[in-house]
Amino acid sequence: MQMQQQQTPVDNGVNVDALMGAREVLRDAPAAAQFTWRAECEWMGGVHSRSTVRGFYGLGEEQAHDKIFTVDADHPPQFAASDNGATPVEIVLSALASCLSAGVASVAQNRGIQLHSVKATVEGDMDIYGILGVDADVRNGFSAVRVNFDINADASQDEIAAVVSQSQKRSAVFDIITNPGNVKVTVS
Amino acid sequence: MKHITTVIIGAGHSGLAMSRELSLRGVDHVVLERGQIANSWKTQRWDSLHLLTPNWMNGLPGMSYCGADKDAYMSVSRLVSEIHRFADYHQTPVQTETTVLAIDPLGDGYRVQTDQGAITCQSVVMANGACAQPAIPSFAVELPRYIRQLTPLSYKRPNDLPGGKALVVGASASGLQLAQEIQASGRQVTLAVGNHVRLPRRYRRADILHWLDTLGLSEIPFDQMDDIDRVRRTPSPGLVAEHQLDLNTLTEIGVEIAGRLEMIRDETALFSGSLENKCAAADLKMNRLLQTIDDWIASEGFEEFFPPSQRFAATRVPDRPRLQLNFAKERFESVIWATGFRPDFNWLNLPVFDRKARLQHHGGLVAQGLYVMGLPYLRQRKSTFIAGASEDAHALAAHLRCNLDQRLVA
Repeated sequence: MQMQQQQTPVDNGVNVDALMGAREVLRDAPAAAQFTWRAECEWMGGVHSRSTVRGFYGLGEEQAHDKIFTVDADHPPQFAASDNGATPVEIVLSALASCLSAGVASVAQNRGIQLHSVKATVEGDMDIYGILGVDADVRNGFSAVRVNFDINADASQDEIAAVVSQSQKRSAVFDIITNPGNVKVTVS
Repeated sequence: MKHITTVIIGAGHSGLAMSRELSLRGVDHVVLERGQIANSWKTQRWDSLHLLTPNWMNGLPGMSYCGADKDAYMSVSRLVSEIHRFADYHQTPVQTETTVLAIDPLGDGYRVQTDQGAITCQSVVMANGACAQPAIPSFAVELPRYIRQLTPLSYKRPNDLPGGKALVVGASASGLQLAQEIQASGRQVTLAVGNHVRLPRRYRRADILHWLDTLGLSEIPFDQMDDIDRVRRTPSPGLVAEHQLDLNTLTEIGVEIAGRLEMIRDETALFSGSLENKCAAADLKMNRLLQTIDDWIASEGFEEFFPPSQRFAATRVPDRPRLQLNFAKERFESVIWATGFRPDFNWLNLPVFDRKARLQHHGGLVAQGLYVMGLPYLRQRKSTFIAGASEDAHALAAHLRCNLDQRLVA
């Protein structure tokens, strides 16, 4: 592990000691490491919906967020909609950027790298022939996703690149987007 | 029932090295071998394989390599004859065609059940190899039935494969080497690439493994490594004897590079979209090592004796790596699982495995009187090199002898 000797301790606002401690404790408690994340989504009319996030399951019991969060999703006027929120695909892009940014902060903290600013720009290309059902050979989702990080930190270019690389390696959303997974949808 | 002080399992380079160390220490023992001496080297390696280590790293105990071709890389068949020569010279007590069926604790020793009868002993050394079984993902069963599946243990030569396209899974040394020779045989290869370690064969005029040795990186003891479990799981570097071999050299000869193979669904292989990061991570890690070498040369004041520092071209990743492959539509006929190996200790009836059934050990010491050899980073990085096995045998034999003495006193 590379730890740089510095005048002031590195502080990216991430409690790496707590995370590393949890990793050690959970290593011998695989059941506590089983989490289930949840959201409820209610149709608000048109193509507008509101998701609510209250709690999740983890560490062997039900857990609650400190407060309840809501996320509105809608579509812009170009899709003949009322634009009450970001589109679901934009929320996915935001989730990817947020997940990678959290990883950048954590990995940098762990490696003793002080961050001054981190800005991610995310783009996803989509041929809407897919969702419109015009061409069966075109997929619904993104044909390409690009993330660019602009990072100001007390580290070399290669060290910053290594932090960004490691954050991808440990990112849940990066994995969710890059790898196939099974989704089961039921009706009650 | 037969009794002997120590049973060694496996008559490969590790087991024979241990036998010599025990003979020097007056420990009576037998080496049990399921087949013939150097069995897996003889029967489970492909024809063109040469060792990845230069010959000076391939010495068996007491036979350190000093031939004219000390910087060459010996073929596996040459290694097999060296191992035979060693066994003949030392008259190693090998009992061939003897398969171990079970090992159970018995008193303060062990009972070794074989298909040729049972043996009781004070100590056991498991030197049956890190590559006993191919580690094949469980979704391999989803492959269409007409696909010919091989592993580096069963593959011999490209012309044994059907004539159609081939998917090689895994980009460590075996995956890169097999992709290269299968592509060269006229079969179009797609290579699935996950986490991998990139190393140049040579850097600043010396073999890269020579550099690791010079910098002391081959012999950092296991108990001084941060997170030794992770180190032991790190894939082996993509190297081939003699030449430069990496994803770029494969791209140049027409091999198609894809992401990690994640699953097979509807007779279609699905690849990860993470290829670019896997390659970027491998490039960054390689460059860190090259920088360490550069720093050492500079700090020793040796700049004038070596060619200048250089950096290799970044791994070229296709603009849009493929995400799926339909075996039937694209006429793929074979899959080679170069996805790593697992040792086989199925017959060991002791609670010495972790929750993923991996053997737990401390530098080769598994339990009182029970030792293992030949696993990745057993005691140091070079534990997997032929000469490294000799050093491990030396250390573990000393421990084993000391343990016997203590028990006699007690």
